[in-house]
Amino acid sequence: MSDKYWRSLEDWRNVSETGDAEFSETPIDIEAGPDRRGFLKAAGFSFGAAMLAGCGRTVQKIEPNLQQPEGFIPGRPVYYASTCGGCSAGCGTLVKVRDGRPIKLEGNPSHQVSGGGLCAVGQASILGLYDSRRIAHPMVDGKAASWAQADAFVQDRLEQARRAGGAVRLLTGTVHSPTESAWIGHFLGSFRNARHIEYDALSASAILDAHERTHGARILPRYRFDKAGVIVGIDADFLGTWISPVEFAREYAAARDPLGSQYAWHTQVESRMSLTGTKADHRVVLGPADLAGFVSDLHDAVIKGGSNRPEVLQIAQRLRDARGRGLVVCGLQDVAAQALVNGINEALGNYGATIETDRASRQRRGDDRALENLLAELRGGAVDVLIVAGANPAFDLPGGEAVAKAKLLIVHAQRMDETAAKAQAVCAAPDVLESWGDVEPVEGTACIVQPCLQPLFQTRPLVETLAAWSGKPGVALDLIRDQWRQEIFPKAKSNLAFEEFWERSLQDGFAQYTPAARARTAARRESEPEPLQKMDPQDGFHLALYAKPALLEGRHAYNPWLQEVPDPVTKIAWDNYACLAPGAAAKLGVATGDVLGIQCGGQDIELPALVQPGQHENTVAVALGYGSQLSGRFAKVGPQWLEGRPTLNERGLVGVNAAPLLGFDRGSLQYFRSGVKLSKTGTTMALACTQEHQTVSVPERLKPAGAKIRPIIQETTLVQIRESGDRRAKESPRPELWPPDHPYPVHHWAMVVDLNACNGCSACIVACQAENNIPVVGKDEMRRKREMHWMRIDRYYSGALDSPRVAHQPMFCQQCDHAPCETVCPVLATVHSDEGLNQQIYNRCVGTRYCANNCPYKVRRFNWFNYVREDRMANLALNPDVTVRSRGVMEKCTFCVQRIQEAKIESKRLGRPVRDGEIQTACQQTCPAKAIVFGDLDDPHSEVSRLMASGRRYRVLEEINVRPGVGYLKIVRPDAPAGEEKENG
Amino acid sequence: MKSRIITILLAIGLSVSCLLLAGRMSQLHLPGNQQGYEPVQPIAYSHRLHAGEMQIPCLYCHFAAQTSRHAGVPPASICMNCHRQVTSSLGGMHAEDELAAKEKRKPRQIVSAELEKLYDALALDGNLQPDPRKTPQPIVWNRVHALPSFVYFDHRAHVRVNVACQQCHGPVETMERVRQVSDLSMGWCVNCHRQANQTGIAGARVHASTNCSTCHY
Repeated sequence: MSDKYWRSLEDWRNVSETGDAEFSETPIDIEAGPDRRGFLKAAGFSFGAAMLAGCGRTVQKIEPNLQQPEGFIPGRPVYYASTCGGCSAGCGTLVKVRDGRPIKLEGNPSHQVSGGGLCAVGQASILGLYDSRRIAHPMVDGKAASWAQADAFVQDRLEQARRAGGAVRLLTGTVHSPTESAWIGHFLGSFRNARHIEYDALSASAILDAHERTHGARILPRYRFDKAGVIVGIDADFLGTWISPVEFAREYAAARDPLGSQYAWHTQVESRMSLTGTKADHRVVLGPADLAGFVSDLHDAVIKGGSNRPEVLQIAQRLRDARGRGLVVCGLQDVAAQALVNGINEALGNYGATIETDRASRQRRGDDRALENLLAELRGGAVDVLIVAGANPAFDLPGGEAVAKAKLLIVHAQRMDETAAKAQAVCAAPDVLESWGDVEPVEGTACIVQPCLQPLFQTRPLVETLAAWSGKPGVALDLIRDQWRQEIFPKAKSNLAFEEFWERSLQDGFAQYTPAARARTAARRESEPEPLQKMDPQDGFHLALYAKPALLEGRHAYNPWLQEVPDPVTKIAWDNYACLAPGAAAKLGVATGDVLGIQCGGQDIELPALVQPGQHENTVAVALGYGSQLSGRFAKVGPQWLEGRPTLNERGLVGVNAAPLLGFDRGSLQYFRSGVKLSKTGTTMALACTQEHQTVSVPERLKPAGAKIRPIIQETTLVQIRESGDRRAKESPRPELWPPDHPYPVHHWAMVVDLNACNGCSACIVACQAENNIPVVGKDEMRRKREMHWMRIDRYYSGALDSPRVAHQPMFCQQCDHAPCETVCPVLATVHSDEGLNQQIYNRCVGTRYCANNCPYKVRRFNWFNYVREDRMANLALNPDVTVRSRGVMEKCTFCVQRIQEAKIESKRLGRPVRDGEIQTACQQTCPAKAIVFGDLDDPHSEVSRLMASGRRYRVLEEINVRPGVGYLKIVRPDAPAGEEKENG
Repeated sequence: MKSRIITILLAIGLSVSCLLLAGRMSQLHLPGNQQGYEPVQPIAYSHRLHAGEMQIPCLYCHFAAQTSRHAGVPPASICMNCHRQVTSSLGGMHAEDELAAKEKRKPRQIVSAELEKLYDALALDGNLQPDPRKTPQPIVWNRVHALPSFVYFDHRAHVRVNVACQQCHGPVETMERVRQVSDLSMGWCVNCHRQANQTGIAGARVHASTNCSTCHY
């Protein structure tokens, strides 16, 4: 029995829509070449131009420091430990500072929460610092003001509210900074009627509410996937967007090591194909209306042992077999369902094992009930002063535009978003890389945010603002240090003096303490459980609103890297769309790209359809976070040329905002909506979808009859690994066309990618973009297959159309020993190094593109244009160690050769050999799942040598004998019948 | 007749321009080759005096060459290590001392015109104390040795294996004003690397890579 792998529906039907999927460009027919005179004219002009350009001397200036700061040496990077501000997960970062400016974020390997990884959002957040369109100064009534003027204006109005007892409300995202929390308390304490409301646009409020009901404390427990043996995810995209994806991805990969003592079995119950669902061993596809019912059935099956659904019984049996090692996580915004989940976990003894309540998570603290009350107050005009900090309710909440009804709206924001545009007073907030701060993502782990350069604009952190408005102005660093001295230092029970403790914490990026133990109450069985939420199952389609891993709820819509990274599942960039199951699309008679009207709860939006395998028949899924005003800036992204089409839609934005379709029900924000009407509009829209670009497989029409399917993706089973061990059988040497003239005397660089650990999150793509100065090309160029990402993640489906299995395969230059690209380059711009690298020399390249055509992996990228680098400020994020390529030059993955060179030279300077693990490529460093290992094959003890010898290792297109330097570890499917290995592609 | 005159004139013109060109042939370079470049610097700093006569080691000022890709131009504070005491040429200071002894007064502090620029940049007054009325201004030097931006040369690796600075930069200790001696072309780099692999440097075996990606990435 052999499964076929397919990349898209066209592929599944064995027709290639684009004809020439292999080549990035459709061939150009030169019908009439230029005439002789025209050629001579052009040649003469270019000669003249070249001569003129060569004349004259380039005068360069050097401005050395007058007083060089200690430890600062031009050209040498310094790393500062800090904390990422991309979302509320609070991952540790190491900020690489070169010549006084931060240029790259890396994960902090010793960090207790993230453990060394960083997601795509974290990697891209460096662009947030060098964003020239940030709010540069405070504003009062739309006019620029100084901080003194803004403070005077605000304090005057606050004093009025203080005296009159007016309603003061502070609306923020999750605040887990100890110092900010303390100052919010101080500040609001001076009013008679003041309240602080936290909300998350991607809310987990129901989990907190359920714990308040069952465990007596409104907490979000910390989930420990690494301790789990059985994982049941119910509509929780924990590898993509749910609570703390980097932390969970690391733990999840650790729990699923095929050589480990236990291999966690994972089932995912969901309505749409989520990133987490793509990794599941078993998927249950249920409509949104049935998910709560599933929880209830599972509860009955676990506690009472009975259910009329065999599927549920099977899952319950697995959970019961793994008592204390099971983990049921649920993303439903239904307190009753969450209470049942707590009941299941309690009954299975998972609390205290895979679910920690002592060191609870503080990563999502939003309270939807309080938020709903606030919105009602706002609509009733009962709020005198509304301060919004670090949130954009006018964009990401249904009815959020009610913030304008507050008598005074003060917004603390970095960018002129929908909420800031409505404010009377705007306080310019600094980026996380230019201000002091602290966060406590998990109880007992307090992290420091330290600035890595002087603020670029007249900005002020929230703590300073609150302190100023409380009448006790101070500097953020002092406020934070005072807070740490009083609160965290005593709890840490350190035997150091405070100064030393602070220095140590600053160097590590975090400090740890043992939080006061919470009295662990067993989950209370509710005498009269609240009924589950009911959605009318009869009324056709349900709408599932979700977030994409890169864009989240839309706070990073300004970020071109995050807009351009293709979605891990659909592989579409620069748009949101309505995902439909293949059956539903056939029933409606729509194909991918047909624009649909979606009506729901009085709201009406139009989006292109996308046919998504693995989705529930009656579900239409739409991504949040698009259609933000912040995306209006991309009008000129990508090359501006005659045939160029705009990246923005007719509204001047990227995508359409689906947040107005959200709703509240019984005190929680709802992401599933019923009563959805779909209608065809008759128009179509081209989506920038990369899944059929640069395919490795042979098109069906070119295949010789009876040819074997290429084993691009390979799978094995857990049983097989356990039976055969992880050693690989001795391989007979392959026949060689070339003499063995590549000796690799000193190093032989190679890489191994574990396809079983990789979850397709795309952090590596953005890390590579940041490290290697890869330009942004815009939607139109992506549609023309001209994306510049050196790394892509191929996503393959296999199996049935309605419930396919998914494989993610990172694909980048394979650094072949017998590289087909090298033999065709007429100018020797791509040649082999004696360290196993396939070198690409930009200054020698003349752009014939022969190499890209001859590359079997289709990993070479051509600069069709001088891509826009007009923003001088964004250019500050360029890596000075990598050439910025110009038009007409081919480029590709170099194994981060600048990092190899740096490590080699530094070890030479220190007089020692390069250590294994010392060189980490950008993709490897950021990978939350640690799926990528780079190293030296000449060292038999290196990690990469060990993995190359693994029984799971194979090479893509090994049969063409180009000898790639990249090995892949087979995907492990634990539940496949033993004794057969699938080798198909 | 007319065409013959024109032909003769053209021939004369061509031969004259050929002669002129032949005279300057040695100074012509390919685009990007800045061999012989000797720009005037904002301060007439003399390497001959400092590195030659005073024998100050190169790495005293260009200390970054040991630990960084760039050797760097030293910060002004390095100059002040000596020039807090030495404010003028030795001859000038001795002359002032003699004159003062003759006139039976305390010697005045004399400051040379070039060092005045350094003190101005650091916003120091006549007694070398910070002058609040001045603002510090960095000294803007003209870069002499510049490689194209697609070349990544690293000083560390070369200093570590004891390649003499003069090997690439020429006899800087004899130059009043720094001049680019070598053409810094790729062929020149690669020849040295090949030779070093065969003969070693200062008696020690070295591995000087000739991979493209040693310098280009």
